[in-house]
Parts: sequence; C-alpha cells; structure tokens
Amino acid sequence: MRSYQWAVILVGLVLGIMLAAQYRVTREIQASEAVQRAQELSAQVEKLKIERDSFQKRVDELRSQLDQVTARPQVSEIKEALEHAIIEAGVSEVKGPGVEVTLNDSNVALKPGQNPNLYVLHDEDILLVLNELRAAGAEALSINGQRLLATTEVRCTGPTILLNKNKRLAPPYVITAIGNPDTLESSLKMKGGVAETLQFWGIQVAVKKLPEVTVPAYSGGIRYEYARAES
Amino acid sequence: MVLNKSTYLYITIFAVVVGSMLAMQFRTASSQDLPLPFDRVQELTIEKKQLEKDVTQLQKEVADLEAKLEEAMESHAGAAGALESELYKIKLYAGLLPLVGPGVEVTLDNTPGAELGYGENAGYIIRDEDLLKVLNDLRGAGAEAIAINGQRILATSQVRLAGNHINVNLTRLSPPYKIIAIGNPGALKSSLEIKGGLAEYLTEQGALVNVEAKEQIRVPAYDGSLRPEYARPTQK
Repeated sequence: MRSYQWAVILVGLVLGIMLAAQYRVTREIQASEAVQRAQELSAQVEKLKIERDSFQKRVDELRSQLDQVTARPQVSEIKEALEHAIIEAGVSEVKGPGVEVTLNDSNVALKPGQNPNLYVLHDEDILLVLNELRAAGAEALSINGQRLLATTEVRCTGPTILLNKNKRLAPPYVITAIGNPDTLESSLKMKGGVAETLQFWGIQVAVKKLPEVTVPAYSGGIRYEYARAES
Repeated sequence: MVLNKSTYLYITIFAVVVGSMLAMQFRTASSQDLPLPFDRVQELTIEKKQLEKDVTQLQKEVADLEAKLEEAMESHAGAAGALESELYKIKLYAGLLPLVGPGVEVTLDNTPGAELGYGENAGYIIRDEDLLKVLNDLRGAGAEAIAINGQRILATSQVRLAGNHINVNLTRLSPPYKIIAIGNPGALKSSLEIKGGLAEYLTEQGALVNVEAKEQIRVPAYDGSLRPEYARPTQK
C-alpha cells in the first residue's frame, strides 16, 4: 500500500469519529433543558390530573352519601331544591334524553383567492350553537367532555379551541345537550337557523337525537377569587 | 507520491460529501439552542397551576362534605342543617344567590335614533351576537358572575334577539344594556378595550360603548324558577 492511501484511511477514521460524536451531541442537545423541563412538567400535570380526578370522585361519593343519610320526607323539599341547583351548577354528572351535535371544519375545496378563514369553524359559531340549544331549553351542556358553566368561555386558538380556562379541545367538536331532543334538534335545524348558516360555509353540522346522553361534572372545584356572598 | 486523475476526483467527492455533512450537523446542533419548546413549557406551567388550584378547591370541598355528612348522621336536626348549608353553597355556585365584589360595568347602546334595519345611515343596533361576544370576552378574562340588565347569566341562559328587544332568561330587555361582571377589574376592562377588540369594533360601527372599572358591584341572583325536566344527576 502506498503512503497516501494510509493518509486517506487516517483522515476517513478521524472524520468518522467526529461525525459519530456530533450525532451524539445533537441527540443530547435535543434532550436538553427545555425539553427536560417540558417532560417533567407534563409528568407533574398527569399526576395532578389523577389526584384531581380521585378528589372529584370522593366529592361525588360524599354527596350521594349525604343524599342517602338524609332520606326522610321532612327534608324532601330541600333535597329537591338541592338537586336542581346541583344540575344548574354543573358539579355533578347528569343523564337524560338529549342531542349530540357534531361540528367539524369545512370540507369545501377552496378556489384560489377565496378567504380560507370564512370556511373554518370559529368560536362565535360554537357560541351561536350553544345559545340556540340554551334557548331551546337545554338543561346541561358539554363540549368534548367539558361541562359548560355560567363562566365558561370558548376561545379559538389556531386549529383548537380553549375553554374552562385551560382546557384545549381539537375538532371535531361534539356538543352534548340534555333536554327535549325534538326541541333541541329543531332549534338548530329550522329554516334560516344556525345549522343552515354554518352549512353555507361548508362547516359540517350533524345533530343526533338520543334517548340518553351523559354530561360530565365540571372537572375541578368552583372557586371565587373576587366574588363573595352578600352579607 | 504519484496520484492519477481518478484518485484526485475520489478525494474531492469524498471531501465535499463529508464537508456538507459536517456543515449540516453543525446547523442542526446550533438550531437546538433556539427556545423551541418554550411555548409548551409555558402552557404546561399554566395548566399545572390551574390543576393545583383545582386540587386545593376539591380538598376543601371534601373536608366540607365530610363535616356535613358527620353532622347529618348525628341527628335529624343535624341532617336538615347539613342539607341547608350544602344547598346554600351549591346555590352560590349555580348563580341562585347574589354576589358582590370588584368588577366592571359595561354599557352598550344603539346609535341614537337608530331603527332596526341595515340602511346606509341606519346606525347600529346592538344584536344578540354582540352581547354573546361581550359575555364570552368577560368570561375569558375570568369573570366570576355576570348579569345583563339585572338578569343573572347562568350556565343555561340564552341571549336572543326578538324584534326590537333582546331576551335573556326569557325576559325582554331593551337598550341600553348594562352588563356587570365580578372579577379582576383591570383584566375584565382590558379584555374588551384591547386594540382591535370588541369595544373598538362596536364603537366604529356606531354603537355607544362604555366600560367602567368598579370597586364594588352587586350581581343579583337568578330570579326565575329552575325546574329541570330531563336532566337527572347520575347516582354513584
């Protein structure tokens, strides 16, 4: 072998080792601080969610125990008022007949020059659908498993919506409403109604009447930081 | 040392390939320093804080219910008392009791002399959608209790245009619409007055908009009757 061949082999070896080292460094960087922090945080978030759910379950249990130990006719009036308030406040899972409304982004193929913004689902569209359902007597509402309270906002953020402060939902959005299924359905499907308007923009609206739907409890405690009871 | 042409060619190709690989590697390596996952960290931090608050609140709720359960098991009078105080708490959550606190007062009115219509100079009439959006912005800014012209907004309240009026809780309201919300006054105010926000938009349309921070306001209770016919709590 001639000497320059040895030189080439040497150069090749050195470069190979350098490249390998580079790859390792890159991988280590990827698992660097910010990523580690995010992983740590998401582990903590998962843990907290489990904790929250177990407390939520305990609250439900205690409420039904309270309901059982106070089963006497003398207090039936209070108990009825309590049940109604619990349904309205959203602190308990509720069941009943109702509808399931599925909303999905437009399936219209856009022509060049058309404004794509007109064909995606906006928070306002969801607000309008919710408002119609409320007007038609919906007694409990949820979107993708998130109970709607008096204080629930619906915010568009890019392709997702945010509600109940930090819950991020992705389409399709499934709104579950308890109430008279026929009234709820026709409130959306009436001529010139919300469904028709949304369908004009290609937004897909499907309404399904169901003999029983479940609307979950608000996950998390209701708390007031500014408001207090009038004394 | 004698090299022929093809050896030179091989060495050149080899050097070019290795060189560009190295350059690519360095670029990828340095771009990793950019704060790419920062948004996720921020989002997760907010979520974690919210969850911690939820857990604390639920712990209180558990303690409260345990005390009530104990009270209820002691005597009949205790049972009635425990139920009464639970009812009070839930009514507070549901909007069936008045609340007081700091907040904002938002006044919305039609262009003076405007009639319902879409003519060129017809002025602007406040629509149900405008009120819905105001409500949504206030909720997003953390409003804890809201009322429009004395009608408390519940989880099931609707806001609907009916002729010249807007119905809220099946009650006819006429302009000016006075919306009061309890929460952080600064946050509530800026949620509407932010540049390009609702206050600016409605003012441009010709509506009269006024947002005022208040140290102490009172949001009344829902005064209608609540008789859910279809929904029933799940027995667990």
